[in-house]
Amino acid sequence: MTIADSQPFIRPDGKEKVTGAGRYTADLNLTGQLYAKFRYADHSHARILSIDTAPAAALPGVFAVLTWRDVPAVLYGGYVQDRRLFAKEKVRWEGDVVAAVAARTPEIAAEAAGLIEIQYEVLPAQIDFEANAAAEAPLIHEQWAEYEADESVGLAGNILGHSSVVKGDADAAMAKAAIVVKSRYVADASQGAPIEPRAISAEWHGDKVTIWSSTQVPFAARSGVAHALDIAESQVRIIVPLLGGGFGSKCDFHFEAHIAALARATQRPVKLVFSRREEFLAPDHRREGMIIELETGTDPAGRLLARRGRLVLDKGAYCGEGGFFAQMAAMHACGPYKIDTINIDSYLNYSNSQPSGSVRAPTAPQACWALEQHMDEVATAVGIDPVELRRLNIIEEGDVGPTGQIFEAIGAKETLTAALEMIGYGQELPDDEAIGVACGWWPSFGSASGAYVKLNSDGSGTIITGAMESGTGAVMGLPLLAAQTLGMKPEDFSILYQDTDAGPWDMGSSGSQTTFNNGRAVIAAATEVRSKLLDMAAEELEAHRDDLVLAEGAVRVKGSPESHVTIAHLAGTGEPILGKGSGVVPDSPEVDASTCVGRLGLESFLAPQLMTQAVRVKIDRATGVVQVLEVAAAHDSGVIVNKIGADGQVYGGVLMGIGQALTEATVFDEEGRQRNPDLLHYKLQTASDAPEIQIRWIEIDTPNAGPNGSKGVGEPPSVPTPGAVGNAVAKLVGRHVDRLPMTAERVWNTLDAARAGTP
Amino acid sequence: MSVPASATLLHVVREQIGLTGSKEGCDDSECGACMMLLDGEPVNSCSYLAVQADGSAITTVEGLAPGDTLAPLQEAFLVAGGVQCGFCTPGMLISATRLLRDNPDPTTDEVRLELSGNLCRCTGYDGIVKAVMEVAARTAEKSAGD
Repeated sequence: MTIADSQPFIRPDGKEKVTGAGRYTADLNLTGQLYAKFRYADHSHARILSIDTAPAAALPGVFAVLTWRDVPAVLYGGYVQDRRLFAKEKVRWEGDVVAAVAARTPEIAAEAAGLIEIQYEVLPAQIDFEANAAAEAPLIHEQWAEYEADESVGLAGNILGHSSVVKGDADAAMAKAAIVVKSRYVADASQGAPIEPRAISAEWHGDKVTIWSSTQVPFAARSGVAHALDIAESQVRIIVPLLGGGFGSKCDFHFEAHIAALARATQRPVKLVFSRREEFLAPDHRREGMIIELETGTDPAGRLLARRGRLVLDKGAYCGEGGFFAQMAAMHACGPYKIDTINIDSYLNYSNSQPSGSVRAPTAPQACWALEQHMDEVATAVGIDPVELRRLNIIEEGDVGPTGQIFEAIGAKETLTAALEMIGYGQELPDDEAIGVACGWWPSFGSASGAYVKLNSDGSGTIITGAMESGTGAVMGLPLLAAQTLGMKPEDFSILYQDTDAGPWDMGSSGSQTTFNNGRAVIAAATEVRSKLLDMAAEELEAHRDDLVLAEGAVRVKGSPESHVTIAHLAGTGEPILGKGSGVVPDSPEVDASTCVGRLGLESFLAPQLMTQAVRVKIDRATGVVQVLEVAAAHDSGVIVNKIGADGQVYGGVLMGIGQALTEATVFDEEGRQRNPDLLHYKLQTASDAPEIQIRWIEIDTPNAGPNGSKGVGEPPSVPTPGAVGNAVAKLVGRHVDRLPMTAERVWNTLDAARAGTP
Repeated sequence: MSVPASATLLHVVREQIGLTGSKEGCDDSECGACMMLLDGEPVNSCSYLAVQADGSAITTVEGLAPGDTLAPLQEAFLVAGGVQCGFCTPGMLISATRLLRDNPDPTTDEVRLELSGNLCRCTGYDGIVKAVMEVAARTAEKSAGD
């Protein structure tokens, strides 16, 4: 079901959000609670010689001071288990937690954290992530060979991961190509920067801990706590109050176990609320810096014959859930194009800076920004319009992808046509304005996911789901699917969610997967309810099951509308009516990737989302300031289930992409410290920066996809935006700005170099 | 009531009075999630001492509409898709309320400029600006009809 544009959809959590009544994690206070504060590493790279907590513990009002000695000797991490709750032998970045304090007030906790005496042997901070791969570079993790790691990642010293995409003989094809273009681009790190800084409260009830956390992934947090504290998952319950945004940065297991450990040590509830500065510095989660070297060979007409590439990504100090980044970036260095031969190597290197982790479409905006500017450079070398180059090479149904995946029905070319039409490509523009275009892609993620649907005795329904609502509206849209299956109204359903003791396991608000996977689960659960209702009604109406339909809150006999029984009546009989479901997870498309290394499952793109964005920008050549005036976003995300929700993802995602394009960078000093961990110096886009954004959905009923032929929606909008802006800027500057973000200073410097003709 | 001399207005409203609608997003006046009206004028309450508010009338998001009702702006935010995670919403509504009070018939550019002290990471501001313009248009229609 697609909701008609005219029919307003009011999100079920909306009223409490506009009245201020809704509770976010930091809004909760537990009777008798203490306040937590962390002592972070004082250096980005140092050996710990000694830790003396006595001065902190002696401060009146302090209830507990914990270090590595107080928790199980457990390592954790997604693909490589390389991290402890509390640093032991070494600190490896400025946000490494060395100790945690629980005290009567936040002020006492902060004072106590400062009183902990730590002796260090300071080591050089190795923040040059490219140089860290050199054989002579000192190891950031001396014990790497003993770590438990996914063998496919390719951990070796300071190289955490290595992936390749190899198709045919790219060297031979490149040698024969009529036109060869080489480019090098460098992207800075950036942040998810949700407006809600994270908060956690924990309270033990006997041997079980309840943790309220501002996480996007409650089930991953639950397993993280159980693993790190060496307890059973059944001893951990994670509840997520309203979540104030995440954008990936609240994915993964972060600080829940620290707070649970403090609560256990003090036998009191303990609360942690991050300051904005901590929200920048402490999470092992920021968008990765990246070096992207690309080389493309074409025939004289511009057909892509060969692509070579070398990518180096900054992993920061620890793996977390980001072990797949090298492979994901390699796929994005191919892009949604037909290329005969490919040879791309992608490396994910440790450094002494904040660990990178998933932020909205991890690796894709940077890789796409580089690739799409490179494509424009190729078009210039061939002597055709950049749009023609894309039209010639973009993937269509039946084409073969970089690893042998054969694409089913996709709307890549249609997105290109639509974006150009919306922006008025080719129009006459003032000499300080230009239009840039970029294409991109992103997979849908198939995952197990479950839901229960039950009917209440008043005829209303409750959806009990493990899915997580980060703000996107994905969970808020689930009643649409249940209502459609049961002939009820969406407002007839309440949702019980964000409690690991209630709903089935779910991957959480990550990978744009909620509607894609949990939508299917809700439909399956509602279908079971439907079947039960039909059985009951058949008996009640003395009719054959096949002659019954569900509509307008009742089961009706086809052809005799007066013969019916209401769902409320059936639900009120006392017979429990409960359905459960998970649906069938679509298989990943088949590939032929035996020539590739570092395979972590991303060598094929399930139900790939395709998009083209065209942007019109204006430059002030005196200052280098770039303003985005207009964006046309055409996306194939399959059939759209909830239009207002989907549109909202594009509006927000595009603006995030503009921020990444122009202003957002986390800057590290040579000691690996963030120089701008605040919203004054880390510039998010404001309402007055936001351009007009036009959206068009290319709705292709996608086989092997989510409910009703839908795909994911949330991450792709940010992917092509920086590349489109970059291509527009290049037309105005005369060459491509090779550093992201393309700040006024960098644009001006590029303009200056272009004028002077210097390299 | 008595408040500590060093307490911010935000802290007192949230922790002492118990109205948690106003949010702390940055603690340095950058994000606007804590915005309240102080004698009708917007302040970032995270950076305003509670003692400075002595004797003043304070409006938070909880006070925008009486009882269980919604103010037109609150309703319009929901219909136009101006709410996603909702964390910026209380400050944004305060800012928009003051804007329409002082300038009942704003241009889109004026709305965008006036709301630029309130950061939103989810919506791209599109639904928010549309909501404000919608309420302004309805108000204009109504006064034209009077």
